[in-house]
Amino acid sequence: MLIKIAWRNVWRNKGRSLVVIGSIVVGIWALLFMLGFMNGFTVSYINGAIEHEISHIQIHHPKFKQDYDIAYSIPNGLSLKEALSSDPKVAAISPRSFANGMISSTRKANGVRIYGIIPELEKHVTHHDSLLTAGTYFESKQRNPVIIGNELAEELKVDINSKIVLTFQDEDNNLVAGAFRIAGLIETSSPSINKFTAYVKMEDFNRIAGIGQNIHEIALFLSSPNDEAPLMDKLKKEHPDLLIESWRTIAPELELFLSMTDSFLWVLFGIIMIALIFGIINTMLMAVLERYRELGMLMAIGMNKWRVYMMIVIETVFLSLVGGPLGIIIGLATMNWLGIHGIDLSAYSEGLKAYGYDSILYPSIENNIYIFVTIGVIITALIGALYPAYKAIQLNPTKALHTV
Amino acid sequence: METTVAKKIVIKTENIAKTYHESKIPVQALKDVDLEIEEGEFTAIVGPSGSGKTTLLNIIGGLDKPSKGKIIIGDTDISNLKESQLIDFRLHHIGFVFQQYNLIPVLTAKENVEFIMLLQKKSEKEMEERAMKLLKEVGLEDKAKVRPSELSGGQQQRVAVIRALASRPKFILADEPTANLDSASAGNLLDMMARMNREENMTFIFSTHDQRVIDKARRVVTLEDGMIKYDEVR
Repeated sequence: MLIKIAWRNVWRNKGRSLVVIGSIVVGIWALLFMLGFMNGFTVSYINGAIEHEISHIQIHHPKFKQDYDIAYSIPNGLSLKEALSSDPKVAAISPRSFANGMISSTRKANGVRIYGIIPELEKHVTHHDSLLTAGTYFESKQRNPVIIGNELAEELKVDINSKIVLTFQDEDNNLVAGAFRIAGLIETSSPSINKFTAYVKMEDFNRIAGIGQNIHEIALFLSSPNDEAPLMDKLKKEHPDLLIESWRTIAPELELFLSMTDSFLWVLFGIIMIALIFGIINTMLMAVLERYRELGMLMAIGMNKWRVYMMIVIETVFLSLVGGPLGIIIGLATMNWLGIHGIDLSAYSEGLKAYGYDSILYPSIENNIYIFVTIGVIITALIGALYPAYKAIQLNPTKALHTV
Repeated sequence: METTVAKKIVIKTENIAKTYHESKIPVQALKDVDLEIEEGEFTAIVGPSGSGKTTLLNIIGGLDKPSKGKIIIGDTDISNLKESQLIDFRLHHIGFVFQQYNLIPVLTAKENVEFIMLLQKKSEKEMEERAMKLLKEVGLEDKAKVRPSELSGGQQQRVAVIRALASRPKFILADEPTANLDSASAGNLLDMMARMNREENMTFIFSTHDQRVIDKARRVVTLEDGMIKYDEVR
């Protein structure tokens, strides 16, 4: 009966209840949208970095990253690469040789990171073949092809087929140089690739550097991000003499960004829930004051305080149970639609690109967030109900019965 | 030889006083009221406005506490009960009828009648049978599924009365039960309560101004300035 009364009380003042339900719906939808939007931003940023630049795991000689000295190659690097490529957790693997150097055109010179890659393997790790804006991904027969970022090309004032010279130090610290022809231009979400990176074939790089089959980096792209931790543990155990790092260590700013976004989302969640609490308190206080005499009568005829208290709490929970799922369904539908079609932010693409974002944002929310929001709304409703319910049981039945 | 069987005293107030301190000047609503009510009485407490009728009724019903004195209902001294105990006491021993009917607007007539029995955790079957029997007795059987807003004032008050009676309390306290009713409705209601009083041997105490109630009462207690001025048994 308590539940029946509480449910009917919800619909007693339909207008007011619908306003509260509406505010719960809009609040939850807004919360889910913001969570999805922010999460989409984070995922886009981090995935962009993993898929086009860092990959999930990288392996180096332990001393290599101290000075990026070309002498510190991975011992038996290519054999290790062969062994790792048979691991089912590894979706793609790319061995790289590397040097910091100089790129020069006839017009200008610039500092650059030079990667010697095996294009057939590299394209499955960094997916740069899908980011070409001009030329091909090492498909032409021309000698010494190089792929650079759009912005670097603009800086050097070069285009497809333009000749550039890459200069770097070999193992003996002698300066060596090679002439390359631009085979393709790429545009990634990574400013460092767009402005400061050049990709050449490993055979060309290693020949000029005189390092034979040596490699300096092995990049692993995993089948699932969840495989990262177990594979890291396994690799560290099997190869204690190598530097094995996940993207979290390689790019700590991504990890920081992730945790900052997490904190921001918590703050946002808190703000919306607090606003919801005050909305609920306001409505339920009105409902209690409006029914002052009726509540007094209930206590006069023998309804104890606990039941009166629970009646108000149940009534409030009903309000949120109507509004909550509705808000979640609308939020879910919005997320699904936007997850497929995305939000076109191309009007701001220049600014977004500078920070490593794509111009189309795909909001996304993990399923457990919906459950989390549902529980959050119910807890919020319960908290919001406490004060009005307390006010209800504080009334004096004698006085309440004489209120008009 | 003619013998008189002494009736059991079921309500006893001893030296009851009540002072309200809600304004700067204390208001003494009751002064040393001693009153004994026997089982099955049909008593009207009358008096001008402000004489203390409602205060006395509220104190007898455990809705208010006296500033001084004792109030014994049955075997229980309710002046010493805690608030939660008083609520429980009211639930199981006292039925209230209010001037404003005070039905629960979101429940139907039948659900309103069942409500107190529900709080007493009576069985579904017992509640259903009792509610329908009482609704039939007051001619509202066909209004069982109707909400109070669709009933006339007289019909609402009849539902309020049978709600109070439904759980078979020992006492019915009615505060100006006919004040908002027309003559015909008031007459019907009083006849009904008189019948219940006879048939169920419940003790009825009214606080009233209404001459129609006073005429029906078998005892009239007149209050003036918070004190009993007359106590007339008919």
